[in-house]
Formats: sequence, C-alpha cells, structure tokens
Amino acid sequence: MMQGRPGPATKIATAAPVLRIGAVSKYFGTFKVLEDCSLEVAEGEIVTLLGPSGCGKTTLLRAIAGFWEADGGTIEIDGQEMARVPVNHRPVGVVFQSYALFPHLTVERNVGYALRMRGLPRAESEARVAAALETVSLTGFENRYPAQLSGGQQQRVAMARVLVMEPRVLLLDEPFNALDAKLRGTMQVELRQLIKRLGLTSIFVTHDQEEALTMSDRIAVMRAGRIEQVAPPDEIFDRPATAYVADFIGTSNFWAARAEAGAVRLPDGQSAVTTLTGDVRLMARPHNLRLEVGDAGPWRGRVAFHRSIGPLVEYHVDMADGATIKVAAMRQSIDRPVADGAPVSIRIVDPALCAVYPH
Amino acid sequence: MSYAAILRPIARPGLGERLIDALLSGRGIWPAVPAIIVLTVVAVIPFVILLSLGFSDIVVSRGEIASQTFSLDHLRNALTDPLYWTTFQRSLTLALSTTALCLVFGYPVAYLFLVGGRWTKRLILVLTIAPLLTSGIVRTYAWLVILGGRGVVNSTLMGLGMIDQPIRIMNTHWAVLIGMVQIHLPVMILPLIAVMSRHDSRLVEASENLGASRLGTLRTVILPLSVPGIGTGAALVFTLSYTTFVVPQLLGGGNYLNAATMIYEQVVYSLEWSKGSVSSLILMVTCLIVLVAIALATNHFTRWTRGRDA
Repeated sequence: MMQGRPGPATKIATAAPVLRIGAVSKYFGTFKVLEDCSLEVAEGEIVTLLGPSGCGKTTLLRAIAGFWEADGGTIEIDGQEMARVPVNHRPVGVVFQSYALFPHLTVERNVGYALRMRGLPRAESEARVAAALETVSLTGFENRYPAQLSGGQQQRVAMARVLVMEPRVLLLDEPFNALDAKLRGTMQVELRQLIKRLGLTSIFVTHDQEEALTMSDRIAVMRAGRIEQVAPPDEIFDRPATAYVADFIGTSNFWAARAEAGAVRLPDGQSAVTTLTGDVRLMARPHNLRLEVGDAGPWRGRVAFHRSIGPLVEYHVDMADGATIKVAAMRQSIDRPVADGAPVSIRIVDPALCAVYPH
Repeated sequence: MSYAAILRPIARPGLGERLIDALLSGRGIWPAVPAIIVLTVVAVIPFVILLSLGFSDIVVSRGEIASQTFSLDHLRNALTDPLYWTTFQRSLTLALSTTALCLVFGYPVAYLFLVGGRWTKRLILVLTIAPLLTSGIVRTYAWLVILGGRGVVNSTLMGLGMIDQPIRIMNTHWAVLIGMVQIHLPVMILPLIAVMSRHDSRLVEASENLGASRLGTLRTVILPLSVPGIGTGAALVFTLSYTTFVVPQLLGGGNYLNAATMIYEQVVYSLEWSKGSVSSLILMVTCLIVLVAIALATNHFTRWTRGRDA
C-alpha cells in the first residue's frame, strides 16, 4: 500500500521538508509551555522529541495533530499551513500512549475506522484493512476485540489503524509506555524497521533516552518548552550542545575548570581545546575514562562502589577533591574487577571528546 | 532497636479481633447479615403479609380475623376490571415517556460534560446534584408556583400578549409529565456521566484523528460506549417514575390516577387491603418485566464486553 514512496535515504538531503514547524509557541494561561520551537522533518525521517515530563514534547505533538491550536508560529505539512485545517482533515496519524483502541470494535473494524469515516467503498476498504493487518502481521486477528489482545498486538493494531489512511506524518506518543521492558526492546527495533520500510515521515515522543537512540534519525532534546539541540543520535551522544543535553542523555561526569588561551587543562594533565575563557564546566562520558590501579597518575581517588551492567563494569570513584566520578570499563574475563576501596587514578582516553560548557 | 525486638513473636489476637478479621475476610455473607435482618423485618415480612391478604378471603367478626382461606378472586377481579387496565396503562405511558424525555434532555448534558472544560464539568455536576439536596415534595411544590393559573408561565405568556386567559396546565397530564421529567433528570444524567467518563478521553481524539466528524464520533464511539449508562439511567428513571406517588398526587390534582395513587386510595380511603395488595403485586411484576427488557436491550448493545476475559 505504501511501497510506492521513495526510500528515505535517497531523499533526505534534497527534497523539501514534509513537516515544517516554525517558531511555535503555546501558553496555558500565563505559563509558557512551548517557546519558539522550530523543526523541519524530511521525507521518511524519524525525529524524536525527547525530554523529561513537562518539557512540552506532548504539547508540540498535539499541536501538530491539531488537538489544540498553537498560540504563535506555523505548522506546515507539504508546504500547506495547518492552522485552519481541523483535526479530522489533517494528513496526520497518531499512535496514542495507551493506543486508544475502540474497545467496542473488533480489530478489523478498528483498523477500518478511518476508511468508513471517509466513506470508502466496502470492497476497497476491506482490501486496505487486510493489507494493513498483513503489514503489522496481525492477519487472523480480525474478529478479536482489543481486550483480547496482548500489549504488543494492541500496539500493532494502533499502527495498522493509522497506516490504512496513509498519513503524510505519523505521530507516536510514547507508544512503548504500556509494554514491559523486555518486549519494549524488540518492539522498538520492529517498529523502526516497519516505519523505515514504509518510508513514513514520523515524529516520535518519548522521555526514554534509550528508546530515542534506537528509534531516531534525529533527536530533538527539549527542555522547558524549548528545543535545546537537534542532531543525529551519535552526535547528541558524543557532542551534546549543552550541559543539559549531556546530563539528560547517557551517563556523564561534570567538574569545574578554568579555560585560558583557547584551552582548558584536564585534571589528568592533558588539555582540551575550547573557545571559551574563564570558569567552565567539563564533561566526560564514563567510557572516555580509564581506571588505573595504584596512585601513579595525577587524578587520584578510591573506588567507592562498582556494579556490572551486562558487558560493562561501572565504577564510582571518590576523588581526592570530594567529587564522585563514574568510569565504565569493558568486562574482561581475564581481569578481576578492581575491588572497592582500592586506590586508583583516572586518565582521560580522548581529550577531544570532553565537552566544555560555560559555567 | 534490635532485631530481636522486632522478631519477637506476635501476641495471639483476642477473640474479638479474630471475629472481626473473619468478618472482613469476605468469606460468606456475614458482613451483610445486619442489613439482611433489617430488610427481613421491615420489608420482606410485611410484604409477605400483604401478599397473603391479596390471595385470601377474610372473614372479620368483632374486629378480629375469623377465617382466612386461599382465593384467587381478588386477582381475577383486578384483571377483569377496566379501571385497572386504564390506570396501569396510564402509569406505564407516563413512566416510559418520562424515561424517553429524560434521555433526550439528559444525554446532551452528559455529552457536554464529556467534551467540556473543567468549569463546564463542575457547573454541570453542581446543577445536577443540587436539586437532589432538596426533597422531591419541595421541588414538586415549586412547580405549582410555576405552572399555576397565576404562575410564572401563564403570567409571562399573558404579559407578552400571546394568550388572554391563563391556560390550564396544573392538574393535567402535562403538568405531571413536566414535573416527573424535572425530578428524575439527575437520575438519568449521573449514570450517563459516570459511564462516559470511565473511558479514555483519547478515544474521542483518536476518532477525530482518524477523520471522523464530531457527529461521526458521537454516533460511532461515544453513543455505543455509553449504552450501559443509558441502560442504568433508563432502569432507574423508569422504576422511580412508574411507582411514583408524590408528583401525580400534587401536580395531577386529586383525581389523577396512576398505579401508586390508586393503591394509596385503596388502602387509605376505601380500606380494601386485598385490592391494594393485588395492585402492588401487579405493579411490581410489570415493573420487573420492563426492567428485564431494558437489561436485555443493554446486553444486546454491549456484546463486545463479553469477550473481555476470554
């Protein structure tokens, strides 16, 4: 049904954006929930709105869907301004947080709902429903009611229900929240592959960074109604634009330092390049630090605690200056982990990957 | 505190505590026993006595029951008496039209509650519940003021020059119907609101997102999901208005006869307890028939709930 669409990889750079959000603002009373949010989403791209609860990500999603009006700015789909287009005429499909399947309708009638509301001929409607159910591998479940399905199946019905109407933009509002942790991982990969196969332009809302890193082509990190950084997952992780983004995504170590003459001195004796001067904050990821047993190096401390996280061992090291630094090391069968209480020194692996932020 | 102190064996509970624990465990019907005793004494036993009066020939001599023999005469008399038929028919028509009108007026209010903002919801709740805080008799008397010959309705219409003399509303079928609808409206609205707000509010958004108009959403999502509320509301309003006594007595004038006022006259004025007993039985049985019909209809329209646990 949607195979005709051009693949995402070939078109991202050249085509005009499918969805353009321009300086959107939204107030609840005097409280600013969205402030000057701008974002462009290309054909077939999956962009995640990531942030803690209350950062405005769902508000932005609801504004795109048309559930409420933005107080300022523009939302365009394929170059057409959406402000005057009512909810039921927008080319937008929403997969809701708890799916919002109609409990009184069978799977088949849930999926066919959009087509019935558009008054499509019965035969065409049936064919498209069957195709959508096949896309999400739910053929054979036509006559079940939502309550008779597992969480994962319900989510797939919710997907099929929006797929039949061939939306230009797919909006996913924390669609994995209702699933248990193990299923969540599998469904994330599955859903991303499905969306990519169909070439659907999507906005995905979540507060879970791992989900965002798995699902997205680009991530927009939001904070208090503003978009802090929009970048591909790797860049967000390796080069977070602000201390907030660094803190929100992944584990990070922060400490204060002074920048002079375009460089900042790192506690292990190396130095990192920066354009800032004066008091700064330094950030290093735990995997960019290496633990050395003994107190040979200049940045010394004691292991306070360690734990194994799958293939990694994470050490919490109490430093001489009172700070606690987290270090991640690959777990290797030949090495025993460093014991708690052991004196260690920490060395930075790649100073260029240390981020420098204004204080 | 040492662990030894925490791990000290717990003292055996006393008899009273064990008894209360057993009661609260929910096994058996013991927690309901007080209510059962009260209901048996004040409702079941009197009702059985009343029924026995309707199915027996009683000979009274010197203020005492001399003999009591089983008889179906009273029931036969009642079923062949045209007065009974017209009275019960009137009661049934009145109750069914009250139920229908309550649904027609109540459903939009419940819909408004569902789609409205916070203040709309609060206003509707207050306006729905407030009348329930005053007694039905007081509310019925208020209608005397409104519908009477010199009441609000007539004086307004005359003031506007639309009529030259008061129209007779009081003591007619219409006055009774108006009063009944107003008195029973909250009983329809509250179950509707309860059922409607039980469902995820995102269902309405999902429906609109999938291209449904507001009317389409009402027809295909809100209405089917509110059927249990319609059933409950209809059953309550029907039962209350079919057996009501106050409203027809006050607004219908002394001569408006429905089932309840007829029973009242039979028992209080003509002291024919056997007749009253049979009338009560007919009232109860016909009421149950309608309630079963409502329940069956509700079940038919909520077949989807049956698959729930499968």
